[in-house]
Amino acid sequence: MFNFEFNSLAEAFLMQSQNGQNHGIFVWTVLIIVFLSILATFIFYKMSIKKITKKLK
Amino acid sequence: MYQVDRAYSYIFYISLVLYLVSIFWGLFVTPEDFVQGNSYRIIYLHVPASFISQSLYIAMAIASAIFLIWKVKLSAYLVRSIAPIGAITTFIALISGSIWGIPTWGTWWVWDARIVSTLILFIMYLGLISLHDSFSNHEKADKFLSILVLVGSVNIPIIKMSVEWWSTLHQPASITISDKPAIDLVMLYPLFGSIVGFAGIVTCLVILSSKLQILRRERNKSWIKNYV
Repeated sequence: MFNFEFNSLAEAFLMQSQNGQNHGIFVWTVLIIVFLSILATFIFYKMSIKKITKKLK
Repeated sequence: MYQVDRAYSYIFYISLVLYLVSIFWGLFVTPEDFVQGNSYRIIYLHVPASFISQSLYIAMAIASAIFLIWKVKLSAYLVRSIAPIGAITTFIALISGSIWGIPTWGTWWVWDARIVSTLILFIMYLGLISLHDSFSNHEKADKFLSILVLVGSVNIPIIKMSVEWWSTLHQPASITISDKPAIDLVMLYPLFGSIVGFAGIVTCLVILSSKLQILRRERNKSWIKNYV
């Protein structure tokens, strides 16, 4: 259950499936979009709160 | 506000660790899917976003009802605060679904009932934000927004049931309350972890968004001056 599915970083990057197709490009693209969207939202709110707090002080 | 600030750190770090561990587990430890190959791993990013985007709308509808019935001002702030976060999670659900569609369906977009109803949800979120910001009178804006949120909540059961009511390319739900999960437990545990972790992270975003809304709307009150 806790064995790694890939033997190397290159294999994990490509994520080649049994039908021979590399699915890594799809998985990693989604991962980057999700992480960047969340990060950008956090940065936006943190900066906006900082800005308004400074103004109120 | 002080208590929420303290709770924020706990929720954030616990959720972040849970989310990252679940994503790592889903991407590197769970076995390849027999039908979809490794592309199925997008499930650990797509399903939490999709589930949360609909849950946020339900939360908005509840807050709207509370505002309209009991005139609780904080509920109106919450409705406006949730809308942009809902738009972002729906955007993630749509984009991740489209990318997942390329290796699975051979196309990134089809005018399928589930996808179209989710697109409508995204447009609704954007429309609600624009509507609220177009008013100069905040009280009027809160009232209109709450009414429209309640009217638009009809879309949520449509999204949920679209895969049952119509013949869609989108697969039916893998996890339901009444039936046994359609996916193996090895794949299910990290999925639950990613949903709970993502929900926690989104809760933190809603807290930040609400804080910003309160600071903007209550900026002339004395308690805000004491708080900052």
